[in-house]
Amino acid sequence: MPSVSKRLATGIAIVAFAAVALAFPELAPNPYILSVGIVVLNYAVLSTSWNFVGGFTGYISLGHGALAGLGAYGTGLLVTKGGLPSFVALAAGAAIVAAIAIPIGYAALRVRGASFVIVSIALVLVTLLVFQSWASFTGGSRGLNVPRPFPGMLRPEHHRVFFYLFLALLAIALTVWWLIDRSRFGLGLKAIREDEDKAETLGTPTFAYKLVVFVVSAFFTGLAGGLYALWFGDLDPIFQFSILTGSYMVLMALLGGVRNLFGPLVGALIVGSALEYFKVEFGNTPLHLVATGVLLALVVLFMPDGVLPALGALLRRLSPTTETSIREVTAGEVAAIGGEPQHAQSRNG
Amino acid sequence: MPSGALLFQSVILGLLLGGLYALLAAGLTLYFGIMRVVMIAHSAFLILAAYLAWWSHTELGIDPLLSMLVTVPLFFGCGVLLQRLLLARLRAVTLTMMSVLLTFAIAVVIEGLLGYVFSGTQRRIQLGYGSASLELFGGRIAVVKLIAFGLAGVALAALYLVMKKTTFGWALRATIQHRDAAKLVGIDTDRVAGFGFGLGLATAAIGGTALSLDTTIYPSLHWHWIGPLMAIIVVGGLGSVPGAAAAAMVLGLAQSLLQIELGTTWAQTVFYLALFLTLAIRPQGFFGGRLAQRF
Repeated sequence: MPSVSKRLATGIAIVAFAAVALAFPELAPNPYILSVGIVVLNYAVLSTSWNFVGGFTGYISLGHGALAGLGAYGTGLLVTKGGLPSFVALAAGAAIVAAIAIPIGYAALRVRGASFVIVSIALVLVTLLVFQSWASFTGGSRGLNVPRPFPGMLRPEHHRVFFYLFLALLAIALTVWWLIDRSRFGLGLKAIREDEDKAETLGTPTFAYKLVVFVVSAFFTGLAGGLYALWFGDLDPIFQFSILTGSYMVLMALLGGVRNLFGPLVGALIVGSALEYFKVEFGNTPLHLVATGVLLALVVLFMPDGVLPALGALLRRLSPTTETSIREVTAGEVAAIGGEPQHAQSRNG
Repeated sequence: MPSGALLFQSVILGLLLGGLYALLAAGLTLYFGIMRVVMIAHSAFLILAAYLAWWSHTELGIDPLLSMLVTVPLFFGCGVLLQRLLLARLRAVTLTMMSVLLTFAIAVVIEGLLGYVFSGTQRRIQLGYGSASLELFGGRIAVVKLIAFGLAGVALAALYLVMKKTTFGWALRATIQHRDAAKLVGIDTDRVAGFGFGLGLATAAIGGTALSLDTTIYPSLHWHWIGPLMAIIVVGGLGSVPGAAAAAMVLGLAQSLLQIELGTTWAQTVFYLALFLTLAIRPQGFFGGRLAQRF
């Protein structure tokens, strides 16, 4: 049970973040900054969605970028070819992604970790291949234009609306993660993460649990991808089905801390802002890749539990101790109490 | 229906390609056997070796095959260092997942550095014997492809001999089979594991040189290789070298034959199809032994 002061601190942090986030569109000096805010929020939703699988079960997926891409293209194609209204298409697109995730999860999750990672990478490679080659349906390398959901709206206003939409999606994803975290289902998932053999022995339906949480994760990832498609309006397979998108999600979640509800969000704020900053300062150079790779390697090697737990450990080390095995009593006081007779009894009995 | 000559040529090309796949998949299988590590960076090192071969040919004017004199020992050393300094540091409990991320990070760094140093331009070695080809039953087989296959074959045979006939090979196989038992009989498993990684990475050096002979290379090319290679080791059964070799030959042949009807891009999907089907029907792969059961 977390202490009162810790819960209070968490509560204050949430309220402060929510206040800043809600006021951000008013505070942003220009539409560009606002659009950066949307991109960072999109990353936050994506890495929180990723964390349904990565955080609970410990299965690392490098292929969630493909699920986001499928959500984006699904939504875009349903609008352009299917003639559906934008937000109906968004829901339908995410549902399709969740449906696609079932056979993928079935193939990938029956065995342990290594195959799952391999399938997740293969998913990105095969979707990129298909969406680039099947030009008659997807537009191929020329890209796909998705009409805006609010045609008459001016650009800054459009950004503002989508900022709040992404914020709402983030709130929903976080709430669902929090609910699973507290549930029996979540307990089973975490048991899989800690020791899959023992969890299975104790009667946890490990395969079913993994599959369900993978589909939930895919659904939210698809929603985030679809919402991005509606906001950005221009899809290119190279960027939608990039292995980098998936690795950004992993990096953000790991950096923030996968066991923490707000870990991916914190990671997205750090990495997402850094990515946008470097894009402005240095343009799109191959050094992007180098920086991403080095950062990922450093996190994996030195901070596999994330920055939030690391900070927590630091705070605990500096704060006054509350629980300790060192007795703050003198030998004389112990003798006066009488050497704790119950303990002696239970040991004898 | 394609003509007999075309079919024959495709079969030969498929087998030649399969040989290269087999060599590289053998390297991946070694890593997996030693440490249960899926080495994503394997194909990035492959492309790095190809770039070094191209660079030594265009800048220094030497035959790309000679670049192996440098790259093979260099990659061997890299492999040892990679295992000893980086992978051995990871926690045992999360090793499989974290090692994937670490090797992925290395692959991305290599891709980025290649792009930075050599730019994203597509490169190709122009060789004197590059356009020479053999005519065989109406099919044309480029000489460079034969050289590449020969390299892969010799390297695979050498790997086989090292594993079966030398004391080091025995120690390595013992380490793969049962690490603790190997330690008990006096094998320095840490050192052997490091050398095993070096051996695996050396296959990437040879494969990369073979690849550079007749392929246009660019920094992100390694993604086109890691996908098929991972499919091969899963279909063959993780950890099984003969399985990987057989799967490499079958899938290489299938890719080559499908190219006639479907074109190069769609033919690549055969690997992913095989991967998904294998995992759905027979997750331990078709030749996998004890190791593959749990992965």
